[in-house]
Amino acid sequence: MKTTKILIIFCVLLSLQLHAQKYFTRSGITQFEASEKAFEPIEAINTSTTVILDANNGNIVSQVFMAGFQFNNALMQEHFNENYMDSYQYPKATFKGNLDNFSLISFNANNSYDLNGLLTIKGLEKNIQTTVDVKVENDQIFISGSFFVSAKDFNIKIPSIVRDKIANQIQINIDYELIEKK
Amino acid sequence: MNLLKKNKAVFIIISIVILSVGIISIYQYISRSPKNTVDIAPEYRGNANEFNYLVTDNLSHWISKIVQITGKVTQVNEDGILLNGTIYCQFEDIHDLQSITENQNIVIKGKLVGFDELLMEIKLNQCIIIQ
Repeated sequence: MKTTKILIIFCVLLSLQLHAQKYFTRSGITQFEASEKAFEPIEAINTSTTVILDANNGNIVSQVFMAGFQFNNALMQEHFNENYMDSYQYPKATFKGNLDNFSLISFNANNSYDLNGLLTIKGLEKNIQTTVDVKVENDQIFISGSFFVSAKDFNIKIPSIVRDKIANQIQINIDYELIEKK
Repeated sequence: MNLLKKNKAVFIIISIVILSVGIISIYQYISRSPKNTVDIAPEYRGNANEFNYLVTDNLSHWISKIVQITGKVTQVNEDGILLNGTIYCQFEDIHDLQSITENQNIVIKGKLVGFDELLMEIKLNQCIIIQ
């Protein structure tokens, strides 16, 4: 009898906790930079990235809309959407992965975590392995870092006339501030 | 002879002017910055619920389009609002949010960036308040 009671209480507590441990943002910042030195900067910023993190086990999903990338140059933005990314056919890029060994309960001062997962751009998947900085402050979780992807991996064709101006390795910077999802 | 020389000079000057105007306008065309939401006429004006159906019906048609939506504010966040529980509008200037309260009716204009499958909502950004 006693054990059943304890078990029930435990289950209720567990479910409450599982429920309350999702952190998310709608306005994460994802930036990319594909500039070659000495040429015009090729970079854009997206401030509407959605990220959801399960704070119990470090599972993370995110999605970023191609149409949300803002360039300083209108023509570049047009080409990005129409020629390079086919934004109407593939409106978003997604990432599904895991922050290894992350748990909010046992969060420690060591704020470097390995992030592994599958990045999907234009319907093609690529495994990403990188290290990100994680900080917990005032009920918010901050995740930031950067990694490189190659245009070839996602079948992004770069015309030969601009090939020298666009870097092969494209740097992606992420900066997300997650709040608890109620 | 003199007339011909004069004509030649005029011809050269005119062609230089035309050429430089051409180069300047091409340069301006290439280096122009993207238009702001304010400057673009909306492709759709109407109610949030109706718009919801339209987007579910044909999402790709609406991507990158500027739309003007009337709806009820169901949530106010630090950088945007939720309209009728289904359309998230991220604001260009977060100071605009100070005047918005929950449950009020509002008209906003913004750019549709996509349908967020993680949170099941339509996402607009660069939003401005119309009314």
